[in-house]
Amino acid sequence: MEVTLIDSPVANVANIARALRQTGANLRMTRDPEAVAAAEKIVLPGVGSFVAAMQWLREHGIDSALRTAVSHGASLLGICVGHQVLFDVSHEMGTTAGLALIRGEVRRFEGPLPVPQIGWNRVTFSRNPLFEGVAAGTPFYFVNSYAALNAASEVARADYGGPFTAAVRSEKIFGVQFHPEKSSDAGLLVLRNFVQWM
Amino acid sequence: MDVIPSIDLLEGGAVRLGRGEFTLVQKYGAPEEVLDSLDIERGSRLHVVDLEASRSGRPIETEIVRKLARRDLRLQVGGGIRSADHARTWLNCGAERLVVGTAAAESPDFLRGLVEKFGADRIIPAVDIRDGVVRVEGWQRSASESMAGILARVQALGIREILATDINSDGAMRGPSFALYRRLRALTPLRILASGGVASVNDIVSLARLGNVSGCVIGKALLDRRMSLAEANARAATPNAIPERIIPCLDVRDGRVVKGTRFLNLRDSGDPVECAIRYEAEGADELVMLDVSATDEGRRTALETVRRVAESIFIPLTVGGGVRSVEDFRALLRSGADRVAINTAAMTNPQLIADCAREFGVQAVVLSCDAKRANQHFEAIVRSGKESSGIDAVQWCKYAEVLGAGEILLTSVDRDGTSEGFDLELLRAVSGSVKIGVIASGGAGRREDFRDAIECGGARAVLAASLFHERRLSIGEVKAFLTAEGIPVR
Repeated sequence: MEVTLIDSPVANVANIARALRQTGANLRMTRDPEAVAAAEKIVLPGVGSFVAAMQWLREHGIDSALRTAVSHGASLLGICVGHQVLFDVSHEMGTTAGLALIRGEVRRFEGPLPVPQIGWNRVTFSRNPLFEGVAAGTPFYFVNSYAALNAASEVARADYGGPFTAAVRSEKIFGVQFHPEKSSDAGLLVLRNFVQWM
Repeated sequence: MDVIPSIDLLEGGAVRLGRGEFTLVQKYGAPEEVLDSLDIERGSRLHVVDLEASRSGRPIETEIVRKLARRDLRLQVGGGIRSADHARTWLNCGAERLVVGTAAAESPDFLRGLVEKFGADRIIPAVDIRDGVVRVEGWQRSASESMAGILARVQALGIREILATDINSDGAMRGPSFALYRRLRALTPLRILASGGVASVNDIVSLARLGNVSGCVIGKALLDRRMSLAEANARAATPNAIPERIIPCLDVRDGRVVKGTRFLNLRDSGDPVECAIRYEAEGADELVMLDVSATDEGRRTALETVRRVAESIFIPLTVGGGVRSVEDFRALLRSGADRVAINTAAMTNPQLIADCAREFGVQAVVLSCDAKRANQHFEAIVRSGKESSGIDAVQWCKYAEVLGAGEILLTSVDRDGTSEGFDLELLRAVSGSVKIGVIASGGAGRREDFRDAIECGGARAVLAASLFHERRLSIGEVKAFLTAEGIPVR
């Protein structure tokens, strides 16, 4: 199965690439908006800030390429900040518009626990293709200060001093707040599910 | 588990007695103002001790208790209740329940009388325990009955909750007496109100995990603002939200895993990549790799080793050793590290922490602090344990948090490689002083050490090296044990 990995200038692209190859994906890494627009299965990574991630996507024309791909029926998986930019808006460092492919807003954790969240956290989910074969309550590895809360397309949630959205799905668009490439077997299973889905 | 703020009353004010002595009184002001400052919610439980009453043998601060009761709080009142008349006085003031001390242990008829008159649900016997024996009369004397006998008698009266204090651990340095509460869990179905030793929210989480502790009474830590009541309540309600992490550590020198004792006498412990793969398969939640090479040649090898290890695992990798600049930090991230630990260089140039946090995010910055006991405090040690810095380790960790460290890897130099158990006082001193997580390191020898580092030490992760390298214990065995002890793991 061919997968197009957006080659964003972030540290974890290599790790995500390695994890995707491990699942059997035939991987193509690209920054070319035309290649992205024509792709059928896309993975969008991201660490760092929402603002920087959106700026990079816009500067490289990847934002509109992603919209084009999605309108042609491509499937898309956003990871961490790549998941956050799928939403309408984030409140990290002011208010910044996202790709608006998923309804909802990204906000800072407000509970009593230290921010950022760094570590494993249990995820509960409703039945959906991404979590096929994953046991309920399986922990995944998170590193984040911001998250979507109670998103309309939420298919998985976790609790960090209050519930937050751990994964979303709208048609063929998926997003995971955790790092599947750092979540050992469970993370690889989620990636394999995406790679092999449809 | 209920979080129950406690105030002691003396001469009309809220006070605390240092070491239980009436000569060492710390005053906190008018009780009502103290409650206002705690932001206590309506309907909450409040523990009130009338110290005047315990001194004089009859209820004294009745007016204050009456006022507090009007605030829609569920009061439990103690202090020298020695007769049914005393008990009635407090109930008439609006107390919901009575805490009965010495008399409960020493006078079965008196306790039975109170239960018959007022109901078992309104009586909380308080037992002070030292080395498994109940002590009475201001801890001066052992009770005539055994602890098991007293508990059985209390339970037979229909009482469901007791207040238990461990006299040995009364003093925040060692924390709540988790061992006592665990022993009581095996001994009696009575629910326990834990009293004494709570210094931070970590203690609240650990008490809530025990299962038999239905409430924890907290005075000093709340009054001294070491935590807020809201935070304490939130943590008590979700003690199992976050799984604790077990982290094998690879000390790498010239491309090989080595391990010594107190940073000396390094022995070869295998190939880093083979170790890393084995540990992920065994359930490691993260891997720490420390470059202990002494030469530049060794350091170049280390970058290559980081790359090889990072490429062989799908769990987070933290790398440290010899990081002196933002560029060193970046090189390790580029080689595949998720997080980088800074040690010696941060002490000579603390700004490095702030610079790296700004450049790569606080989640990527780990402060590695090696600490050693030195006259009455813990001193931060630099250059792989060779040099003293003169800097207090606790203060240094607090400062690093402010600068932007996301977590602290805290190694006891005294315990490193000894398998004697973690330095729990060091862990408590640091974990109780910072909000960021502390990784316990140095001294793991038995599975109980992992429990104690988390439960008593307040660590959010526990690191071990030789124990895992030499296969004296597997990660799976540690996790199975922690699960059985009520500590959540992945």
